Amino acid sequence: MISYQRDLRETIPASAVKIIGLGGAGTNMLERIALDSIAGAELLALNTDIRRLGSCLAKEKIQLGVTLMRGLGTGGDPELGLQAILEAENAVRSALKDQRIVFICAGLGGGTGSGAAPIVARIAREQGAFVVVFATMPFFFEGRRRREQAETSLNQLTVLSNALITFDNNRMGELVLAKQGIHEAFGAADRMISESIKAVIRLVISPGLINVGLDELMAALRTTRSRCLFGSGIAEGKDRAAKALRNALSSPLLEQGSLLKHAQTVLVHLSGGESLTLYEIELLMRSLQKYVPETAHILFGAAIDPAMGDNLSITLISALPEDTLMSDTRRSISQGLEHTPIIEKRSALPMIENPFIEFERKTEPTIAEKSQQPEPALLNTTMVSESAETVSEDPLEEFLESPPHGKTVSIPEPRSNLSHNIEPEICDHLPEANPVENVPALPGKEDRPYAEFFMTETIPEPEMPTGFPHSTSVVKAQPVSPLPDKPIKGKYQPLHKSAIEANDAFVDEVTPPTSPTEKAPTTQLKLDPKFPSPQNELSFDNAPKGRFEGETPNVFDGEDLDLPPFLRKKKN
Amino acid sequence: MARRTKIHVGLEIGSSKTCIVVGEVKPDSAVKILGIGVTKSAGVRKGEIWDFPQARACLKDALTKAEDSSDVEIGSVYLSVTGSHMLGVNNRGNIRLQDNQPNILPEHLEEACNIARDVHYPHDHVCLHSIIRKYLVDDQEQAASPIGLFAKTVAADFHIVHGIGNRIQNSIKLVRECPLEVDDIVFAPIATAQMALDREQRLRGALLIDIGGGTTDYALYLEGAIAASGSIPVGGDHVTNDIHLVTGLPFSKAEKLKILEGNASADPSLSVGIAKLTDESGYADVEVKRAILNEVIRQRLEETLKLVRDRLPKGAVASLGAGVFLTGGTSLMNGFSELAFDVFGRDIYRPEPSENTNSDHPSFKDPRYATAIGLIRYAQILETENTKPPGCIGRLFGLFWPFGS
Repeated sequence: MISYQRDLRETIPASAVKIIGLGGAGTNMLERIALDSIAGAELLALNTDIRRLGSCLAKEKIQLGVTLMRGLGTGGDPELGLQAILEAENAVRSALKDQRIVFICAGLGGGTGSGAAPIVARIAREQGAFVVVFATMPFFFEGRRRREQAETSLNQLTVLSNALITFDNNRMGELVLAKQGIHEAFGAADRMISESIKAVIRLVISPGLINVGLDELMAALRTTRSRCLFGSGIAEGKDRAAKALRNALSSPLLEQGSLLKHAQTVLVHLSGGESLTLYEIELLMRSLQKYVPETAHILFGAAIDPAMGDNLSITLISALPEDTLMSDTRRSISQGLEHTPIIEKRSALPMIENPFIEFERKTEPTIAEKSQQPEPALLNTTMVSESAETVSEDPLEEFLESPPHGKTVSIPEPRSNLSHNIEPEICDHLPEANPVENVPALPGKEDRPYAEFFMTETIPEPEMPTGFPHSTSVVKAQPVSPLPDKPIKGKYQPLHKSAIEANDAFVDEVTPPTSPTEKAPTTQLKLDPKFPSPQNELSFDNAPKGRFEGETPNVFDGEDLDLPPFLRKKKN
Repeated sequence: MARRTKIHVGLEIGSSKTCIVVGEVKPDSAVKILGIGVTKSAGVRKGEIWDFPQARACLKDALTKAEDSSDVEIGSVYLSVTGSHMLGVNNRGNIRLQDNQPNILPEHLEEACNIARDVHYPHDHVCLHSIIRKYLVDDQEQAASPIGLFAKTVAADFHIVHGIGNRIQNSIKLVRECPLEVDDIVFAPIATAQMALDREQRLRGALLIDIGGGTTDYALYLEGAIAASGSIPVGGDHVTNDIHLVTGLPFSKAEKLKILEGNASADPSLSVGIAKLTDESGYADVEVKRAILNEVIRQRLEETLKLVRDRLPKGAVASLGAGVFLTGGTSLMNGFSELAFDVFGRDIYRPEPSENTNSDHPSFKDPRYATAIGLIRYAQILETENTKPPGCIGRLFGLFWPFGS
């Protein structure tokens, strides 16, 4: 593979990403993040309470309201929080200078969190940063007053931030058993948030094979007053794809995937070691389709991270309007299970023959996807679910026939029947609120990862068909005897003796294939596939296989089982 | 219920032999073997058909022999299939009940079963078996049907065996051309397990390894239900081939050496000296150092057993209460149980090679016919299920407790 220097604008340096923990809850989250040691971001703690601030692990700390509060907490009064941040505005402003992305973590409902978060968000925006807010909503038992404070603050944040990810503490309660202490409950909630921040950072910062970036993240979270649906799972082993998905769906924010039923846009990000295979991705996406409505816009991303080793991690991010979540939760679960795609026995037909096409479609920017939507959406209402499946194939084919996808994408088609999905209000608020342009190099990012993807995939393929027929013909031309050049003394001895003696000499000739050579035939999605060197391949083909000569190689865990282990092991 | 005597025929097309067993199931569900037809296979490699005309000729020959010995005209058979493409996977279907309707209805269970059965396999594969393992009610195991119980979630655990459709179709085509009808196709280790493992052994946990000529098939039973199954394309032929490759001896001699002189146990005292084969004229025909011969055999079989072990779910070997059951021709190899013990560290059961080799007195115990006889057992179980008023759950449950009725 030809490596190329990534455009510097595409990657965001770690020094330009800052995570701010605001208030008591925010500091807790920050601490969890610090413990998990997120690479690629700096941490900043803001608090009025000097004791809390003193013990915080963050590298940078700013005390809010030094004269006003004198190092005490706000006591749950947002007004005090507001005053305190205004007092420290200059310090915060200088700390946020030149930041590209700012994550603000705050627990809403209290004094510092609710009062100061909107101001911090504003300051960050004024410094030209892209602002993502992670906010937790208070527990029901914390009372109406705090809930109202949180709501007020959340309303302001909706306007001020580029992306708002809200976690409801009530939902967090499901993370732990009823018996466990409150300490653990909050710990679990913090961990959850830390996980999602990490996932978002990974998504935004590290360029993937099939890239998803801030624009996709924005699309996934694009609803006003939404609650974030977030699930992340990691697994290793044989059926890691299924396990990882199961873990991701077991996140309480997803309710076993049933909440995804209502999602309009779902961001799916996969990350795995070099052993990540295309088949696994296909499998995973297929199982995911059971949980996501057919009309949903799936933003798919994949990244290869050698540090992941044998692990496969999946991250699901989506958002639901708050009201559906509150009132419909119960109903949705039961309904979802009654007429779902879950139990639909999949016929052979709808499976997409070429996975590449599938990916291409999925990663296509929003507008193109939406212009595809009306057809299935309209038909869906009139047709039964079976035919809907076949119908949804059509746009894909049409889509493939129209050659320049890249061009068609950028034309925003004004459509009257922009079904239910997007309220006009959000549509016109978004462009001004989201300076996507500020974030460098998002447009055009799509094309190159494709090229990369295709390259790594298609190159090994032509090699296989040529490799094997060739090898058989070579082998057949040779004498069947595994000892092509016997030592001369062997001539004067009975055959079997020479066989015994020549053993060692023979062993040297048979070079058992190294695992990369053999793994080449299996379709593997590798970032940098190691192409078999010609020498290796030659010796692999030359090894006589006796009875199993000319058969397809019987490769298992990187060992050709048709060769005697006696010879293979000795070589190793 | 009065049942009639029924005749079932099991057919196994193996890499080394094609075997047809005709069995009579008496009204008291005792099985009597009426006759066996065995021919050396040709055209079958690693459990899959390699040369169609040859395999067909072998099948015809076996069929004639079986019909002769049993005095039964065979019209339809139960066919066992194997091959490295066959794979058994476990899957769980989970559903969450509505809050206002917390007891489990049959349709809930059916839905869970449907979800569990809907495993994703490559699109050229077909599902061969889907066997219920257990039900879980609120993550607690439930042996019997949980219909009517109160629960928040209910799950069904299934074991699904799938394989490449076309290859299975080819086996069926071969049989149909004979012409014979195929009553049902069964994954070979599952059929063998019907014969080799009894219910108690399955409850305690047992691993069946059937090492044949071309493939090594395995089936793992834990807590009475199948937990893993699969096939590895390595068998006795590979041992012979290894000896041929390492020593340069022709296949026939290698095979003879393997059977007469080979030993798979790592006992150093057995690896001293030279193994000799004499031909008809009494001359020493072949001489090979025992150390090399045994090492070649041992390494091959050890690797094969380790492949099986590594494909089992984690912790499965430790929970084998009953032990490891070996069958298949290669399991008759000298010293094989010692080797198996080294690999698994559990009790090893190996069938005794039966004394009477003629098919007039066929024995249940003979490991070479285990699969074909297992097929008759399987047929018997299917039969009893079908005569019962079926009902989906009852049927599934019947599969779960094969000897329950």
